[in-house]
Order: sequence, then C-alpha cells, then structure tokens
Amino acid sequence: MMHYKWPLLAAGLLLFALLPWGLGAYHQHILIVSLFYVMMAASWNLLAGYTGQVSFGHAAFAGIGAYASGILAAKAGINPWLGVAAGTLLAALFGLLVGMICLKLGGIYLSLTTLAFSEILHIVINNEYEITRGTMGLQVPGLLNTYSKPGYFYIFLAATLLTLGIVYRLIHSNAGLNFRAVLNDERAAAALGVDVVRVRVLAFTVSSALAGMAGALYGHYLLLITPHIPSLDQQFLVLSMTVIGGLGSFAGPIIGAFSLEILSEYIRAYGEYHVLAFGLVALIVARFAPKGLVGIFRAVWEKRRQAALRPLQPAGRRAGEV
Amino acid sequence: MLALSITNGLVIGIIYALTALGVSLVVGIMNVVNFAHGEFYILAGYFSYLFAHTMGLNPLVAMVLAVGAVFVFGVVVEYTLIRPTYGDDLYSLILTFILSIVLQSAYLLIFGPYPNKPPNWVKGASDVFGLFMYGNQRLAALFAGLAVIGIFFAMLKLTWFGRMIRAASQDREMAELNGINTRRLNMLSFGLGCALAAAAGVILAPVFPVTPTAGVPVALTAFVVVVLGGMGSMPGCVVGGLVLGLVENLGAAYISTGYKHVFMFLILILVLLVRPSGLFGRAET
Amino acid sequence: MKKRLILMGIVMAAIGMVLTIGPAQAADTVKIGVVGPRTGGAAATGQAFEEGIQLATAYVNAKGGVLGKNLEVVFQDTAGDPEKAASGFERLVTRDQVAMVLGESHSSAALAEIEVANRLKVPFVVVEAWADPITAKNYRYVFRAGPSNSGVVNDTIAKWVAYEGFKKAYIVAENTDWGLGIAELTEAALKSAGVPYESLVTERKSQDHYTELTKIKAYDPDVVLAFVYGTGLHYFIAQAGEVGLTPKAVVLDGAGPPSLWPDFWTNVGDYGNLECFVSSMHEKVELTPLATEFREAYVKAFGKAPTDYKSRSIYDAILIAADAINRAGSTDSEKVVDALEKTDLLVTRGTAKFSTEKGGPEYHHWMPPMLVIQWQDKEQVVLYPPEGATGKLKR
Repeated sequence: MMHYKWPLLAAGLLLFALLPWGLGAYHQHILIVSLFYVMMAASWNLLAGYTGQVSFGHAAFAGIGAYASGILAAKAGINPWLGVAAGTLLAALFGLLVGMICLKLGGIYLSLTTLAFSEILHIVINNEYEITRGTMGLQVPGLLNTYSKPGYFYIFLAATLLTLGIVYRLIHSNAGLNFRAVLNDERAAAALGVDVVRVRVLAFTVSSALAGMAGALYGHYLLLITPHIPSLDQQFLVLSMTVIGGLGSFAGPIIGAFSLEILSEYIRAYGEYHVLAFGLVALIVARFAPKGLVGIFRAVWEKRRQAALRPLQPAGRRAGEV
Repeated sequence: MLALSITNGLVIGIIYALTALGVSLVVGIMNVVNFAHGEFYILAGYFSYLFAHTMGLNPLVAMVLAVGAVFVFGVVVEYTLIRPTYGDDLYSLILTFILSIVLQSAYLLIFGPYPNKPPNWVKGASDVFGLFMYGNQRLAALFAGLAVIGIFFAMLKLTWFGRMIRAASQDREMAELNGINTRRLNMLSFGLGCALAAAAGVILAPVFPVTPTAGVPVALTAFVVVVLGGMGSMPGCVVGGLVLGLVENLGAAYISTGYKHVFMFLILILVLLVRPSGLFGRAET
Repeated sequence: MKKRLILMGIVMAAIGMVLTIGPAQAADTVKIGVVGPRTGGAAATGQAFEEGIQLATAYVNAKGGVLGKNLEVVFQDTAGDPEKAASGFERLVTRDQVAMVLGESHSSAALAEIEVANRLKVPFVVVEAWADPITAKNYRYVFRAGPSNSGVVNDTIAKWVAYEGFKKAYIVAENTDWGLGIAELTEAALKSAGVPYESLVTERKSQDHYTELTKIKAYDPDVVLAFVYGTGLHYFIAQAGEVGLTPKAVVLDGAGPPSLWPDFWTNVGDYGNLECFVSSMHEKVELTPLATEFREAYVKAFGKAPTDYKSRSIYDAILIAADAINRAGSTDSEKVVDALEKTDLLVTRGTAKFSTEKGGPEYHHWMPPMLVIQWQDKEQVVLYPPEGATGKLKR
C-alpha cells in the first residue's frame, strides 16, 4: 500500500480538481462548503486530536477572520484578498492571547474559557450592529470580480491543500512529536523536558490562524457575513465531523467533513430532522467507535491483514485485536 | 431601580446557585463536566408543562413528578453514556456536548419551537416594601429555590448519602477503600445533579417559559458559577450564584442591557486569571 | 466485520450517487418557491404560510393551473436567518429550478435574498418583510406585495396615535432591520406630529425585560409602541403587566402576528387584555369577495377560522405570481417581471397593483390596507381606521 500512496493521492486530487466541470452550480456549492469544513475540521483536529485540548472557540476564530476581513472590505473598501490576510493574522493574534490565558490550566478550564470567548464574541457582534450589522448580516464583496463558482472552488481547494499541508508538516515535525507526547502523558512529557505550555500555545495559535483564514474566505464566498459563522452550531458541526471522521487521525476530518456536508444536503429535504440525525450518529460514533470512520476502516483493514497472515491458526479473538 | 435590580439579582442568583450545585456535585464526585446540564433543566420544564397542562395534574404535583422523571433520565444517561468515559475528560466533554445538541433538536421536534409555559402557582404582582411592583411567581421562585437549597444542604450534612457524597468528593480512592460502592454512587449522584437542574427548571419555567435552545445559557451560567465559587465547593456555588445574579442585574441596569451576559464571562476570565481555584475551591493537584 | 466494510462501501456509493444525480425533473408542473421561517422563533408564521400555500395551490390548480400545468410550491425554510435565507433562495433556484420566489417574513433575511435574486436574475415577490430598503434599492427583479415600514407607520400607526390623542409615547425596537427601521420612521413621524417620545433598543430573544420596563414606566407614557417580533413580545406584554406599566399605558404590537399566535394567552395570561396590535385581517372586515372565499376555504380545510393574517398574505402572493406567469406566457424572468409590473388583480386584501415610480420604497410596491385592533375580553375589536372600526379604545 505504501508504494502506491503518493501517485494514488495525486491522481485522486487531479480527478477531484476536475469535478466543477461536470457538476451544476448547486453541487459545486456543496463541494465548496465541504472544503470549508475540511479546513475547519482539520485545524480543530490539530488541537483536539493531536494535543488533547477541546476548544469550543474554533468557530469564533473563523468568525474573527470573517468579520475582520468583511468589515475592512465593506466599510474601508480594502481589497478582499488583503482582508483575508488581515483576518488570518487577527485570528492568530487572538489565538495567542486566549491561548496564553487558559492553556496553563488546560483541560476543562480551556474548554470553558474558549466557550466563554466564543459567547463574548457573539454578543459583541450582535450589540455592535452599527459596525457589524449583527443578525442582519454584513454584505461584503467577493474575492473574484466576476462571480464564478469554479473560481471559488479552486480558491478553496488551494486553501484547503495549504491547511492540510501545514497540519501535516506540523504533525510530522519535532513539534508534532511534542504534541503527541503531551497528549499521551503530560507529566512524563514535562519530565522529559517538553515545555508543555509552549507546545499547546503553538498548536492553538496555528489552529486559530487556519480557522481565521477559512472563515474569511467563507465570508467572501457567501457574500454575506452573519453571526452564524462564529456560533456554537458551527462549532458543533466541526466537532461532529471530526469525531465521526476520526479524532486524532489525518484523514478523519477530511472524510468527516465531506460525508457530513453531503449527507446534510441530502437530509435537508426532510427539514428539521437533519440536525437530530447528525447528532445521533455523532453520539453513537463517539460512544461506540471513538476513533470514527477512519478507526472503523483501519480496524477492518487490520483484521483482514491479520487473517491473511495467519491462515493456519484457528480463528478467534486474541488480546490486542479489535 | 436599585431595589428592583437587587431583588431581581437575588431571585436569579438563587436559581443560578441551584443549577450550579448540580454541576458541582457531578464534577466533584465524577470529575465529569456535563455540557448537557442545561438540557436537563429544560426537560424538567417540559415535563412540568406536559403533566400540568396536557394531563391536567395539579401544578405542584406536576413539578415533583417532573423532577423525578428527569432524575431517572439522568441515571439512564449516566449508565449508557457517561460510564465508559471515566478518567477521560476529553471524551466526556465531547460526549456531553453532542448529547446537548441531540437533546436540543429532539426538544424542537417533540415539543415544537414555541415556548412552553407551565401554569403559574401564583398570579399577579405584589408591592415590595412600597418600592416597586414585582411578579408574584418570581417571589415564589425565590422562596422555592431557597427551600430546595436548604433541603440539599441538610441532606449533605445529616444523611448517610450526604456523608458518602462528601467522602467521595474529597478523596475517591479512600472512599472506595472504605467500602463505598462508587459506581452506584456515581449513578445516583449524576441523577441527583440532574434532579437539581430539574428543580431549578420547574421553579423558573413559569416565569421564563422553556424553549428548545434555552438550556445553553443555563449550562454556561452554571459552569461560570462553579468556577467562581470554586470547583468542588457547594457553599461556593451559593455565594457564586448570588454574586453573579447581582452583578448581571446591576450591570444591566446601570451599564448596559445589551451586554448583560458578557459580565458573566468577564467574571470567568477574571477568576481564571487571578484565582483559578475560585472563591472557596481547593487548589488543583 | 466484513459487514462494516460493505456498509462503508454502500455509504460511499450513496455519496457518489447524490453527487452525480441531479435534481429529478418533473416536467409536468410549474414550480414556484416560497421562503419563510418554518423553524425558529417565528415558526408560527411558517405554519401560517403552509396553510396559505395549501389553499392557494388548490385555488390556482382548480382554475386551470399555470401555463396549463399544475402549480407546485416548494417551501424552503430560512428561519429568519440571513445566511440560511441566501443559501435557501439559491437552492430553490439552482436545485429545485423554480420559476420565481415568493414570501419571507423577516426583513434581514429578505435583504440577503434580494441580493441573490438580483445576482441570479430571478423574480422575487416579498410578502411580509417590511423594511424599506427591500424595495428602496430599486432592484428590477424585486417586488413587494405587502406592508412596508413606511407604509405601516405613515398610513396606520402615526395616524392612529393622532386619532386617539396620545400625549406621550415610548418606542421599543428590536435590534433587527425591521425593528430599527420602523422605529426610525416612527420617531420621524411622531416628531412631525409634535408628540414627545423616548425610545430604546432591545434584544429580540431576550426573556427578561424588567429593567427596560422600569425605565419605560418612569417616563410614564400613554402608549408604548413595541416593535418586537416573536415570542419576545409575549414576555414583554406579560412583564409589562407585572410591573404595572399597563393598563395605564396602552401597548401596541407593531407587527401583529405574535398577538394572534396560539400560545399568546398561555404566555401572557390576563395581561393580554386591552393590548393592541396591527393586522391586515379581521374576521368581520372582508374587503373583497375573494377574502370571503378564502375564509370559507380555510374553515373547510382546517376546521377553524383564520387568525394569522400572514396566511392570507402568501395566498395573495401566489395568486399574483400565477397570474403574472400566465400573462407572460412563459417562465422567462424578463417576461415575468414585465407581466408583474402590469399586474391588476383582485386578491383578498384589495386590488394588487405595483407602482413603477423609481427613487424610493414605493418602487414595485403594493401596500395593502392595515388595521389597528384591540383585544377586549378576548374579542378582536377594530379601532382604526374609523370607517372600518367596530368599537372604541378601552383603557
């Protein structure tokens, strides 16, 4: 399997990149939204899956990116591309600040602080409606002068690849080893000289920056920025996608984001049921298959491999097999 | 204005304290933060409405039944969902967060989006010390809340069960070594925690009717109160709740109504920065 | 474990199918889209829309349908949220391939939708979103067959305040496009009428209004004009009664439907008595024979009398849309827009005619007459306009 990994991936990517030409506007929209969620899920996974910090403020950082970029573009006439850069930087800055406040304590305190941050942002956006237009929504210019769905698709594809690339490099670097050390056993890692807090702050800042970028791009795609972007509902979606896809795995967020977004469009015909349906699936997966779809797939693959390697042994459960 | 805000603050504060006690209990004994806490509060409100309105039972009977029903539901949730997460904070956070959303959607589907209001026990309004008019149901809520809190503390101090709770929350291993069945204790404590949320829910539902999403701010407030009062400290919850209620209402009256809820979060961040163990809490190991 | 692999394969295949299979084309119906709040705080309006849609579809199809085919209405939930509204509108056009879109009851959502309508060049007839900018932007594809803020304020509310001789007013507005817009217009109208007033802005979803009500009570107004849409209004009324603001002051629900929703009385209790509200419908005031026909069809279909006027509003809009498409002879957007501009159709609230005067909110707007009604012992009594009044204001 290892030999074919990279060429297979490249071929798949090429096919994927050609999709817009075979699909209608509606389906292209679904793909673009899915890519947005891939970016969000992958960056959240960096924090939760690889560093063990459950942040409930991820959507808030996306919101910071979106609103910063949107307000600059709509009120100050700044070029949306520059706006996206500004949004990303601002999100990174806030990530650093929030990280420094709560990462020392970690665990539940981090979750609560990020939740608090998310809610404060929500309230500020709603109240300062003269600038943000609150629940009425802020209309912003797009990234392209002439609206073109395939155009946006490629922008999002590029950004997604960038995000995934950064996450990949980070996980497979020295810093990434530190992440996993901290995740597995904090005390042991500290004893070995890993600066636990610095590791967490790094992950948090990068993760927030990526969310900010995703949010800014999304805002300029929708041409409308509303407090829905930095909302707990969005946070829930990102969380479920990662959990169902596979927390702590690289492919998990990707699979989760696509599956859930496509599924959600399909279920949308049934109206109000789709959030409940998702939630139930997420609950069942979280409870019975914590490693998500990727985990299930891996377990199946492992089992078949083991079975193939031991044709003469009687079939049976041994310690260590799933 | 001042007198009204203080009164409002006390009423809401007591209810905050009651909800926070439920969270604190579960955190102290099981080290689990139940994100769906608000949804149990709401569920009790819905049951209370169902029993009283649709089934025509006496409002007070409906309330007691509602609390009981939520207690049972809490026990079931503990057994099926929470139990496997012992020791893994991350896991229980995620699970309860998802549970919270699932319950919210379920409520939307089952009960509909309109607020459901269980009947008032008392109607009208009274003149409070000649200073202002105040809804009678709110006054009743204040007294009911105080009563439940009083009963809870009495239970903690005077009964066997209360003693077990105090023991287990101080040192779980020692409690186990002393023969306490911590599994069963966990189940009952979780149920009790939910029941406390339920009590708060049935008391306040006639004043603020329940909607599917109204549980989220309830849970958030409870968490802030617990952090403010100190993780694991019951009296801390009461003090924290009152402080929060007062700060919110005075802030709304004199600073800004729009930013009412921000005060709560600012307090949270302040506490985490300055004194993470809260007002009465034990320091983290 | 093989089962799991197969299951995964099926899931993947299903996903693939959904991606590749386009929308099923039913070539024997003409589709019109409706946007509105099926969920959220104003879900009752979505319910009212559903009822109106059902009756209107039956009526249109009984009279021969649209372009000789059956009319099919696709109702997309927007929940009063601008983001859902924009994406929902686009979905109606790209996935469901509707000829035109009607509806909407939230101004913020409508403002997002008109941008999409303009971009996709699809005719959009707004029904119950009142903010002026919706038509003031003068978008060619956007029409309004319903009240606008300036229409309601200038033709009804301001005149009623003068008619009843109120001396002091308090304006309470929710922080949305509708609330802020109508409050601004009301302030201007009261200023020119010389009526002193004060105003405040409130959060629509808020449940506790004690602090605000205390402020209002301190001002001691005769009338409180409450522009809060949704169950937030119920809490407002109930608490206004508790703090003793009413019955001394009269409260007007500046939107209308919340005072008519099924759980108004449960939530508000006795404090709902003597509350006033705006409406375009009243059981005893039937302006056209079509209104009577609507009521009879409603009773037959749902077993009760119609109470929420928004069911009639969407009914009218569907009739207007069907008529326009028929006159255009096709579903081509340009032809439909031209046909809409020439509309002259009798509907339940009067004769629909869209103005073509550019420059302001009157462009592509038809303003139906509105009434001011008061609850007196759970009976609806029309107070204004005097020609249609069935009683007098009680305090």
